[in-house]
Amino acid sequence: MSNVVVADEAPGAARESRGAGRRRHKMSSRRKKEAFYFWLFISPWLIGFVGFLLGPMIASVYISLTEWDSFTAPEWVGLQNYTEALTEDPVFWKALWNTFYYAAVSVPLGLVIGVWLANLLNKRVRGRKLFRTFIYLPTLVPLVATAMVFKMVLAPSGPLNDMLGWFGIDGPSWLIDETWVKPALIVLSAWGAGGATVLLLSAMNGIPRELYEAAEIDGASPWRQFWSVTFPQVTPVIFFNLIMGLIGAFQIFSQVYILTAGGPNNASKTMVPLLFDEAFRFYHFGYASAVAWLLFIVIMAFTLIAFRTSRKWVFYETEVR
Amino acid sequence: MALATDAATGAKPKSEKDFATRGLSVFKASPATYAVLLVVSAIFFVPFILMISIALSSDLTSSQNAFTVFPTEFEWRNFTEVFTATGLPVGRFVGNSVIIATLSAVGQVLSSSLVGYAFARLRAPGKGVMFMIVLATMMIPAQITMIPQFLLFKELGWVNTYLPLIIPNFFTNAFNVFLVRQFVSRISGELDEAAQMDGLGYFGVYRRIILPMMWPILTAIAIFTLTHAWGDFMGPLIYLNAENQMPLALGLQYMTSTSNEMQLPPWNLVMVGSIILTLPMIVIYYLGQKYLYEMNLQGGSAGVK
Repeated sequence: MSNVVVADEAPGAARESRGAGRRRHKMSSRRKKEAFYFWLFISPWLIGFVGFLLGPMIASVYISLTEWDSFTAPEWVGLQNYTEALTEDPVFWKALWNTFYYAAVSVPLGLVIGVWLANLLNKRVRGRKLFRTFIYLPTLVPLVATAMVFKMVLAPSGPLNDMLGWFGIDGPSWLIDETWVKPALIVLSAWGAGGATVLLLSAMNGIPRELYEAAEIDGASPWRQFWSVTFPQVTPVIFFNLIMGLIGAFQIFSQVYILTAGGPNNASKTMVPLLFDEAFRFYHFGYASAVAWLLFIVIMAFTLIAFRTSRKWVFYETEVR
Repeated sequence: MALATDAATGAKPKSEKDFATRGLSVFKASPATYAVLLVVSAIFFVPFILMISIALSSDLTSSQNAFTVFPTEFEWRNFTEVFTATGLPVGRFVGNSVIIATLSAVGQVLSSSLVGYAFARLRAPGKGVMFMIVLATMMIPAQITMIPQFLLFKELGWVNTYLPLIIPNFFTNAFNVFLVRQFVSRISGELDEAAQMDGLGYFGVYRRIILPMMWPILTAIAIFTLTHAWGDFMGPLIYLNAENQMPLALGLQYMTSTSNEMQLPPWNLVMVGSIILTLPMIVIYYLGQKYLYEMNLQGGSAGVK
């Protein structure tokens, strides 16, 4: 994304500086005025950037190197918070594992469901709009309301286990079972697969018909056409959803807080609930800040890996042109 | 992401598409297609029916967990009882949500339109660098700044007020700046150049020429901010402790720790609350659908939750 923007930014900027050099006497006061207004108009963002982002980020680095409850003076401890998280605190590793587990299953699952449903909806289906609405509707439900309903859906004698019962499966007691609490959160996340579905559907809608005609003439089966035409054409949307999904999954909070509070036995405690508890329940602001930076590093690492591997599987039409 | 944008613009009207796909085997819908779509739609809809069913069940049914997926009782009075029977100021919860969400949206619309306009139209040395910073800040997760921001707002005496939830919106955010900037860049510059010849200043051009043309993207930003602020749980959880200040999203969680004569918690009323929390989002989405589509075009689809 940044590359594209820079590319369309650069020529204008270059022209501007050259022009300013040549006609300095004529232009400078107008240019100065324009520049003044630029800085004036972006000042809301600039103030917000310094006050709510850059300042707090610097503060966060400092706080993470101290032990601080916000009531007494912070005490400098160097990297101790980081080493404590990485070497001593068993809950940190458990939370990290839980977060990986959740992200590694929920994100691909959501994408698979999304691609599958979008491909079905992209056929000549009667009532496409109605199906699309049913599938998209859950994404409009605020997380808190979703959590409330899923507390019921996932109850030991709730509708999900009733449904499993039809197939002779004895459903687990999802939210209070150490093994099943993470799958339960993943079930909840799958309910929101409609968001990706709608985006993928609109991408599939735009695939040129000629590609399918050519494949048809070559005698490719629908299955083959899906993998050779549809799928490569929507990989950029899949990639976008993968990145956004990963970032979102690593930051899961409300569902966990409302449904399980991290239990049973920390089996559903993920990174942000851990950070939240350390900061706002125990007032370990130093330790919580260190956890926040470790989370940041994890998110950045996964985003980078996704971008690196994207060259191998994401198809960009612009490269061909 | 560029392709996502192209794809969305290339979407054809339904009838035309049906014509274009006729005779191609890959677009043929088999009975299995319908079967899968019906089953999946049904499964996706079950939680909604369950929500309504529990909301309409009596205290007794609810307390015994005896409700069914399809409603068998119709206790409509639950919809008034939710405001009186829980001992919580649920009416205030709703009012608080409205205040916080509305003011947040106003803040985002005002600030992002001005900043986005400047990035799209005004020339100044250092602008490219500034825009790079805007883009870079999109990558910073909120958890990094959460603690220092809390300490800052605590220092300012803003804890237990709406201010920490509202005020940052008046300083816009990177994503909205990006959206507005992209949108304005696509508007032809002739009109504002002509207006400038006629002696309109930079603010005049923004106010009289650009702002009236920006409303599709600003509506999208308003909807996005409204839904985000309306459903936000963590922010109010950090900053608001007093019952009568809580927005509905937090109040609902609070309700699950209350009880009435018969049950702990009153699940039927909690579900009524969930419906009250959900319904405005569906209505807003329905009304603003086409503007969100606009936002998808600009942002390469990041606007969708």
